[in-house]
Amino acid sequence: MTNQTKSQFVAVASITSELSAVMVVAKEISLAAANAKAIAFRAGDKAKGFQPITDFINELLAKETIELVTAINIYALSLYRLTVNEYRRTLVYNKLELVSKTAANAPYAASMQKPLENAKNSMQNCQRQFKRDVKQLLDQLEAVMHHARAARVIAANSRIEASQAGEYLQSLQAVAESVDKAAHTIHDNVQRCRIALSLYRNS
Amino acid sequence: MKMTKIYEGSHQWIMFGRDENKPAKIVDSNQYAVRTANRCLLLEPGGAELFAPMMAAVLHHAPVEQITDLFASHQDPDVISSLGLWDQALSGAKLHAPAAWEGYLRHLGCESIEYVGISDNGGTIKLESVELQLIPAHYLHSPANFHVYDPQAKILMSGKVGSAFESASAPMFVEHFDSHIEKMRFYHQRWMPSNHAKRAWIERVRNLDIDILAPQHGRIFKGDDVKRFLDWFDALQVGIAV
Repeated sequence: MTNQTKSQFVAVASITSELSAVMVVAKEISLAAANAKAIAFRAGDKAKGFQPITDFINELLAKETIELVTAINIYALSLYRLTVNEYRRTLVYNKLELVSKTAANAPYAASMQKPLENAKNSMQNCQRQFKRDVKQLLDQLEAVMHHARAARVIAANSRIEASQAGEYLQSLQAVAESVDKAAHTIHDNVQRCRIALSLYRNS
Repeated sequence: MKMTKIYEGSHQWIMFGRDENKPAKIVDSNQYAVRTANRCLLLEPGGAELFAPMMAAVLHHAPVEQITDLFASHQDPDVISSLGLWDQALSGAKLHAPAAWEGYLRHLGCESIEYVGISDNGGTIKLESVELQLIPAHYLHSPANFHVYDPQAKILMSGKVGSAFESASAPMFVEHFDSHIEKMRFYHQRWMPSNHAKRAWIERVRNLDIDILAPQHGRIFKGDDVKRFLDWFDALQVGIAV
């Protein structure tokens, strides 16, 4: 196995690991949103501006991120299978090429031509499919990044709204902090996935 | 990879092995081909490491499209870990192997090859006019294990039974049975787990008319050495590791 193949296996396998951390954080955001909603309800008019933000945090940020990550995980698994397939097809092609060279003087050497061509096509199809799938996965990861960026804007707005919530200021600020922290974590994890994968987009 | 024709009649048996270029730390193994007019069966096609030299050697005897059948006596890597490679090289081929091992062997890659599972009581492989018998050899050494008997050529491909490990320069046939014994003893005692299974196999095999006993490792037995081997194996206590 070449070093590039090894790195490819590691990169694809690490996506699932990074995303499982994102999933945990997204679930935490969902809890924070429920908590914030309860506080905002108790705060009444003092937290009027905060109420629509809690819905936004829960619906857009947490639920959609969870849905996206679930879909990406399925996609990452299929990319892993494709990586295995590509590895096997490349191995087959290399072996058949070796057979052709070794058996050049054998009476039935010419019969290798068709299997060799088939193996080459099969390997190249896998490589092309891998590049296409990597590009699509990168696009999906970009969508998660977009959510993370939105979360940070929401966190900033939440802080402003929290400052007008009187005795509820501290609780609502804590919510804003946890959303901001979660957004950071999601951003960093997804960014690591993107960096690992982008190496293979054009390889 | 050396090639030796061990039978030539209405069809041929060719033995492949003694590969001087194989990686040093892997065991040497014997592969066999049964060649009829338009078809070729590979018995114990070998490990992934030996795929390229093995296939190159087979091309001296048959074109790729006539390699229609593979047989694996059991699941060992030196027997069949090349399956995933054959699977991509051949089209429309069949693998005859123990039914009990199907789910395991498919891990090696078996997409285009049809897996023909052999039930515990054995079966046959029909290769044009040649009918080969699949003789149960369970627990020798694998729990689901078969040998191949060709009644026309009077050859028994005996898998691990009769195996010995020697250098690539060793002769193809046993020349002095008595001096060959020590090359086989420990392997059979250590790798064959059951005296009961051994006796059942010997009883079954003694009913066959065998000129050549062809194991998966080491030298081939022919003529009176076949009976000598069966007598020696009959008397040997196996399963010594417990």
